[in-house]
Amino acid sequence: MVDPGGAASLGRKESGPGEPEVSWLRPSPLLLRARRIEAAVVTGPAAVIGGLVGQVVSAAAGIAIAAAVVLAGLLAERFLARRVASWGYAERNDDLMVRRGVLIRRLSVIPYGRMQFIDVTAGPLERALGLATLRMHTAAAASDARIPGLESGAAAALRDQLAALGEAQAAGL
Amino acid sequence: MTGPGPAGPSADGLLPDRPLPDRPLPDRPLPDPQLPAAQSLARDASWHRLHPLSPLVRAGRQMMSLLVVLTGIAVLNQHQDGNLVADLVVIVAALVGGFVSWLVTRWQVAGGVLRIDTGLLRRDSRRFPLSQIQAVDVVQTGLARLLGLAELQVRIAGGDSARGGRLACLRLADAEQLRRQLLALAAVPAGGLAPPAPVLTYQPGLSDQAEAAPDPAGRLAARTLFRVRTTRLAVAILLTRPGATALVVAVATWLTAQFSGSARVIAPFLPVAFGVVAALWRRFNGEYGTTVVAAQDGIRLRSGLVQTTAETIRPGRIQAVRLVEPLVWRAFGWCRLEVDVAGSRQRREDRAEGQRLRALIPVGSRSDAGLLLAELLASPPLPSQPAPARARWKAPLSYHFLSWNSDDRYVVAARGRVCRETTWVPLEKVQSIRWVQGPVQRRLGLATVHLDVAGRRVSARIEDRDAAEAHQILAALPDLARAARSRAG
Repeated sequence: MVDPGGAASLGRKESGPGEPEVSWLRPSPLLLRARRIEAAVVTGPAAVIGGLVGQVVSAAAGIAIAAAVVLAGLLAERFLARRVASWGYAERNDDLMVRRGVLIRRLSVIPYGRMQFIDVTAGPLERALGLATLRMHTAAAASDARIPGLESGAAAALRDQLAALGEAQAAGL
Repeated sequence: MTGPGPAGPSADGLLPDRPLPDRPLPDRPLPDPQLPAAQSLARDASWHRLHPLSPLVRAGRQMMSLLVVLTGIAVLNQHQDGNLVADLVVIVAALVGGFVSWLVTRWQVAGGVLRIDTGLLRRDSRRFPLSQIQAVDVVQTGLARLLGLAELQVRIAGGDSARGGRLACLRLADAEQLRRQLLALAAVPAGGLAPPAPVLTYQPGLSDQAEAAPDPAGRLAARTLFRVRTTRLAVAILLTRPGATALVVAVATWLTAQFSGSARVIAPFLPVAFGVVAALWRRFNGEYGTTVVAAQDGIRLRSGLVQTTAETIRPGRIQAVRLVEPLVWRAFGWCRLEVDVAGSRQRREDRAEGQRLRALIPVGSRSDAGLLLAELLASPPLPSQPAPARARWKAPLSYHFLSWNSDDRYVVAARGRVCRETTWVPLEKVQSIRWVQGPVQRRLGLATVHLDVAGRRVSARIEDRDAAEAHQILAALPDLARAARSRAG
């Protein structure tokens, strides 16, 4: 039985939940670079196209639109750093915790025994930086847990480790 | 075996599992042990074919529409002979295709595995370990009922409906027999799907036993738990959203016709009206005569007017139970009780209803629901811990419903704006636990905890708790769930 009364001492509302002794592991710092490159790849062409379209009206309009797009990209970049920093995962004795999100904060607890299969994927950019994304699937469609920006060696090692733990603790549906 | 009177003396309250005389469900014959075909469906390892008429049933619906379209075209283009030939070619091709598909489809039960092979060019061989079966359904479409055929559907865990097995079609008696045998074979390990190894070894003595034992004893032990009242079902469906839509459409049509004074203006409303009526009919057809019976091999569920469905949910395979109380129904004290079983249903016609769970009680009184709930879950807790008062700012419409509770076996959470939804989740079925906090919730110091279970997007949502309490829930539930899992096996 969960006792809501005894929770007052745990009131760490700002830092998000999780026991104090949980040590959060973070994705590689290269993840921020990957996200920045992604943002730049989107922002650059968008600014150019926006500028060209705006130029049909007047040169000033074209420059204004391009500048606005670049400004939006820069603002997003500031946000990216916080978002990347929000990722974290912790391996506990019986389950894996994954946290993410700045605006909407999420924290998932996935028991090792519930993992049906584990994916390691890497897009072209991630591959170039030597990163990979780990995804954990359970029988529930709603539980999506992933850890982006792991170094590919670490991702493979974590996958094998989770798979072994999952096999050891597997439970029926 | 299907003679008058029950198969044996029935004690008080122990009804034999057969339709009562006032029920229009087809009289399901008790499987005759002397019936040669039914005798050894699951016992020998030989390959079986589906019923020769099954292509007709499978293609029934498409064939009908095809025929209608082709006849229409043929009538319109009577002077052109070429079209008639083309139509015939299409029909013959469809028939030949169905026949070939029947010819190359075969199935077998051997070594604890149901195997279905099909496909001419692209062979498709599927194996369903019996120990992983979540539920077995016997579905009869209208055409299949006329021909005495039935479709057997095997549900395996996984949200993807393509992963289940269909045997369409078998003779009804064979399908019933096979269902019983599959469930008996599947019940060999008491627990879940964890240890597949011992199950896969085929034990010949076991199916003998399974065949002999359940019939007299199992049927007598079956108890009818609930039977829906037809008039109440009809009224209740009219009081739901599609019903209200139908009413609005009808009133709008009438008003338009009234003001314009000509009947022609209602033409635009006809497609809408048709869609609404079809939706209402589908629901009525699907839920008509829902009967819930507790039997030895699980909860049996029968329903349907034209197309009948008989499902068997194995004990311990229920992922979640949900009690739904829409606004208007609450005035009558009515509610709907749904269960979620891992593995979605196979019926193509059900696509629109995929989001709705299977209703054990399409509409019933609260005491019906309480009775059935007590049968499904052992002393389930009631949602008694309301959300903190400041949750009103974040969820003004649903605040009065938000509450939750848990014991060491179940978690229950209530939510909903107009329609109150109470979800019970057995802790041993919890797949993952998610804590979510949106910006408004953060300002108010609230958080939501989701408990995900297998199957469709079903989760018990403990909404808008005090952040500290949510921490506590998140810290405590994984351990409680683990304890429940290890208890369950």
